[in-house]
Formats: sequence, structure tokens, C-alpha cells
Amino acid sequence: MTKNAIGSIFFLAFSCFYFFNVFNIKKMPGGQFEVMTASTFPFYIGIGGIIISLLILILSFVKKDTDFLSIEYLKTLDFKTTIYFILAMIFYGFTIRTLGFIISTIIFLLIGFLLLKEKNIKRILLISCGVSIGFYLLLNNVLGVYIDPGMLYEFIIGDQS
Amino acid sequence: MMDGILQGVGTAFSSYNILMVAIGCFAGTFIGMLPGLGPISAIALMIPITYGMDPSSGLILIAGVYYGAIFGGSTSSILINAPGVAGTVASSFDGFPMSKKGQAGKALAIAAYSSFCGGTIAAIFLLFAAPALATVSLSFQSSDYFALMVLGLTAVAAFAGKGKFLKAAIMTIFGLMLATVGTDSDSGIARFTFGRLDLIDGISFLLLAMAAFALSEAMMNILENKKQTKEEMDELKKDIGSLKITKEEVKEMAPTVGRSSVLGFFVGVLPGAGATIASFLAYGMERSIASAKDKLNFGKGSIKGLAAPESANNAACSGSFVPLLTLGIPGSGTTAIILGALISYGIQPGPTMYVDNPALFWSVIISMYIGNMVLLVLNLPLIPYIAKLLTIPKQLLLPLIIFFSLIGVYLVTFNNFDIYMMTLFAVVALFLRIIDFPMAPMILGFILGGMMEDNLRRALTISDGSFSFLWERPITLTILIITIALLLMPIISDYLAKMKKGKEA
Repeated sequence: MTKNAIGSIFFLAFSCFYFFNVFNIKKMPGGQFEVMTASTFPFYIGIGGIIISLLILILSFVKKDTDFLSIEYLKTLDFKTTIYFILAMIFYGFTIRTLGFIISTIIFLLIGFLLLKEKNIKRILLISCGVSIGFYLLLNNVLGVYIDPGMLYEFIIGDQS
Repeated sequence: MMDGILQGVGTAFSSYNILMVAIGCFAGTFIGMLPGLGPISAIALMIPITYGMDPSSGLILIAGVYYGAIFGGSTSSILINAPGVAGTVASSFDGFPMSKKGQAGKALAIAAYSSFCGGTIAAIFLLFAAPALATVSLSFQSSDYFALMVLGLTAVAAFAGKGKFLKAAIMTIFGLMLATVGTDSDSGIARFTFGRLDLIDGISFLLLAMAAFALSEAMMNILENKKQTKEEMDELKKDIGSLKITKEEVKEMAPTVGRSSVLGFFVGVLPGAGATIASFLAYGMERSIASAKDKLNFGKGSIKGLAAPESANNAACSGSFVPLLTLGIPGSGTTAIILGALISYGIQPGPTMYVDNPALFWSVIISMYIGNMVLLVLNLPLIPYIAKLLTIPKQLLLPLIIFFSLIGVYLVTFNNFDIYMMTLFAVVALFLRIIDFPMAPMILGFILGGMMEDNLRRALTISDGSFSFLWERPITLTILIITIALLLMPIISDYLAKMKKGKEA
């Protein structure tokens, strides 16, 4: 399948989903008398999205597009590491409030370096801890941005506020 | 006007703001040098830091980052033939061959001097063009603004390149769709929130910019698993040689720099065109007017071939600020990000900014010039050391870039839902990058979406719900005619190319 055809199908599906949801936008009482409601603009861009994605899809067949998403190219991509990274990012989002900024950042960076096959453990630990603690101190003491130490810290040390 | 300029000079030359320009130039140079990370990512990464500053300082820092990133892109183009920014691809045509000949220092110096001259000439043009356009645009009404925004979005698609028009158009619409998520500013009705309170305020522009550029570019690097080759590492370890340029060389490149700067500025002013088109046009122009003997040098380390794109891309960067500062309409992905930053500072660029915020307006223009000086005086002598940063292994850099992207957005809201949303957008952006759909039109559509809807609403209210406002006002009609001409441009150029092919056959 060509890249354009894949993209157009994705956008056609998204535009249809968007367009049908336009009808779920609530109307204000007396909205029928207004020149423009909350759904007017989305209605037109929804139609625009459907038309353009259909055009790309049709043209990719009519013009005999040759820009294929080849299996050879996909085989060169490192999906495994990327997926692990995505999971690490979700994990970071999940732990940043529970474990706190410092611990969750150290864990995230450690996972990141290890996923990308950095072998020097000393360097990994130094950068992870250095960046995490250094950034925390910079934010709290220099930039005046307070970061919650996390529920775990509060559970162990107790809420000092 | 003179009062405004003096206020701007005072603001731009305060020691704090000069420091901000210098920091911005350094940070931009470093980020711009990393292959794959361009000015948009560099600016997106710096925006969270600017939230604590006053708008002038924030914008001055961002302008410094912009110039620094372009300069950094040139450095990696010249040293390792790996342009960090599309706008510096043309610089590698002659810059890298010079570097291979052992003249990397000279090539970097030519790039820096040409960029400086391009930036200076463009800053002078900007000094006159911006107030003139701002004065004209004071007479603009909602319908004209709506038409201008349609023109801006169409131009981005029209200049996207051969066969990419529809792709850029759908990406723009995708951006417009994302802009409608959240509470409608007029009626207060929630749209596309699916009952989630986290979406009531809409999608943050910083979140989207960071996910679509910095985060997805870093993830693309992980996905493609491209390691720096031994040749690239060897090139970086080499001595870059002397930074000196002879008088003859200055004489040779001076007319090229002058021509390319003027061309670059005007191309930069056009919505959608930007630094990439400007640099290629300037390179093409110089090659076509060169003597037969000089022509042979192009692609083999020609001084003119390097000076032309470098001065043009820098001039185009300044030029792209004209529609942003005077009309409040960005012409490129980078200026769209800057507009987003301005809006988040509570400033609405447009013709009134010139009157209401003269210190900010002029300080930005003046700081661009300071930025060029910083690049020349500080960055150029330090480039042998800054270039060594390119030898930092990717396995150490990429997790840090991802961390700074995630934390930059998290620190604005302290809501971990934003991290999940960023991850989702980055995955979508990654998929779209694999199938070659451009990201810049999406961010442009997203930034302009809200303003476009507001202007359409106002125009429709004034014309009592009738679309006749599109042809009743001469300014609106003229802008729309230009838009239609731009829309037809790819079809006409396709037809002409076919005619030419037919004749040759």
C-alpha cells in the first residue's frame, strides 16, 4: 500500500469520527437564531477533512502512486525499543506523582539509557541521579517552581506542610 | 516611531536581555546542531523556561534560539553533511565539500559572516517594512483577517513541495480540528471533550508542539536506530582549520550575500515560504547567474554556493517575523510556535501591538540584530568546542531530550494526564512521519484555528449571517483571489510540466 493511501485512510476515519461527533455538541437555547453556533466551524472543517482525505485516496490510485511503505523499510525500524520507550513514558506519567519527581526521573532515565544499550553503568547512574537532583534543585531553589516530592516521600517522611 | 525604537533599544540592551540572547543563541546552536532537531523543537523546548520571564525577555530568548538553531543546523551541514534543519540543506552542497578539503573553519566562517550580513540587511528591511505593514493593516476588519488566515494556511500547503499539497492541506485541517477541542470561547459549550475535565481547556499548544516535534523527532531517531558513522565521528575529531577569510574571498562573496539577503527577506515575508525555499532559491539564482567557470565550482566547495543559502535563510528568518508581528499571522511552523508563546504570555500580535507594546515590538527586532552579533562574536570562535558536543553518544542524548520534553509540559500544569496525552500525540506524529506527512502545517492550523473561528464569527455577525462579506470588501476579495491563485498553482505547474514533457517527446 502507498504512504498516501495509508495516510488518507487514517484521516478519512478520523474526519468521519470528528464529523459525527459535531452532532453531539450541545446547542444553547435559542441557538437556532444565532449566525454561528459552537458546531458551525467544526461542521465545515469536518466536511473539509472528509473531502481532502477522499481526494488523496482517489488520487493515490488514479495517479498510480509508487511511494510504497515497503516491508524492507519497516524491517529496518526498531519497533521493539520504541514500544518499550512509549511504555516507559506512560510509566513516568504514572509514577511522577506517586514516587515523586526525583525517584521517577531517575528510574525513567535509567530505563531510557539501558533501552538504548548504554553499557557504562557508572555513567548511567551519574547522569540519571545528577540530572534528576540537579534539575529538582534548580527548579525549587533558583527558578522558584515548586515540585511536589511525591506521595511516597510524604508517606515515609510525613507531610511537613 | 522614534520613541518606540528608543524604548526597544533600552529593553533589548539591558544586561539581562543581552544575557538572554546569548543563552538563546548557545542553546539554539546546540539543539540545532543535533541532526533531526530543528528550530521548532529548539523553541518548543525553551518555552517552559520563558514562562517565568517578562514577555520581552521571553521573546528575546526565543529569537536567539531561532537564530542559534539555524546556525547550528549549518554547522552540522558543513561538518558532517547532516543538516539539523531543512533550511540548511542547501548549505551542505558546498559547505561539506569545503570541509572535506580541510577548510571546515573557513566554511563555518563564511556561513557565519553570510548569516550575519543576511540578518543585518533583513533587520534593516524589517525596521521599515514592519511599521508600514502595521499601519496598513490597522484598517483590516474581521473578514480581512479571516481571509488572511485562509491565505496563510493555503500558502503553507501550496509551498509544501511537489505532490505534497493535499498532504499539507489535510495536516492543516487536522490542526484546525484539534484546535476546536475544549470549551467554545463564545458560547462556553464543551466540544469533543468526551466528558473528560482534562480536556475542558482544550489541548495546550506547548503539549502539541513538543509532542509533534521534539518528542516525535527523538522517537524517530530511536525507531530508525541510526548510529553516527565512523566517518562522521572522524570528521568531528578533525581540526577544523583556520577561520580566516581573505580579502579576495570577501570581494567574491559580497554581491552574492547582498542579492541573496534581499531575496531571502522577501521570500521569508511570504506566508508558507520560509528559510528552506529561500535558501534553495538563492542557491539556484547564484548558480544560474554565475560565469561558466564559476558554475563548475558549485557543489565542489564554491564560496558563493555556501554564502548564498546562508545569507538567504537568515534573512528569511527575519522576514518571517513581518506577518507575525504586524498581522498576528504566522507564515511558518516556527513563527506559529512563537505566536503560541506570545499568546500564552497574554500578548496578541497584530497591528495594535506596534502601538500598544512598542517596547516589545522594537526590542524583538533589535534583539534579532544582537543575536546575529552574538553568533558572530561568541559562537563562531567557540564552534570547534561546541561541535565536540556532537560526539556525545545518541544513547545518552535521546532519553534526556525525551525527559526535557515531558517535564517541560508537565511543569506548566502539574497534571500527569498531559504526559499520557503527549505520548499519544507523539505516537500519532511518529506514524505520520513514517508516511511522510508534514508536521508544520498542523501546528499552523492549530494556532490559527481559534483566531480563524473568532474572526469568522465576527464577520458573519456583522454581515447578519451572510457569506457576502467574502466578496463585498475589496481587501477581503483581493486576498481571496490570491488564495485561489495559490490553490490553482500546483495544478497549473503540473499542467505546464506535462506540456513541456510532451514537447520534448
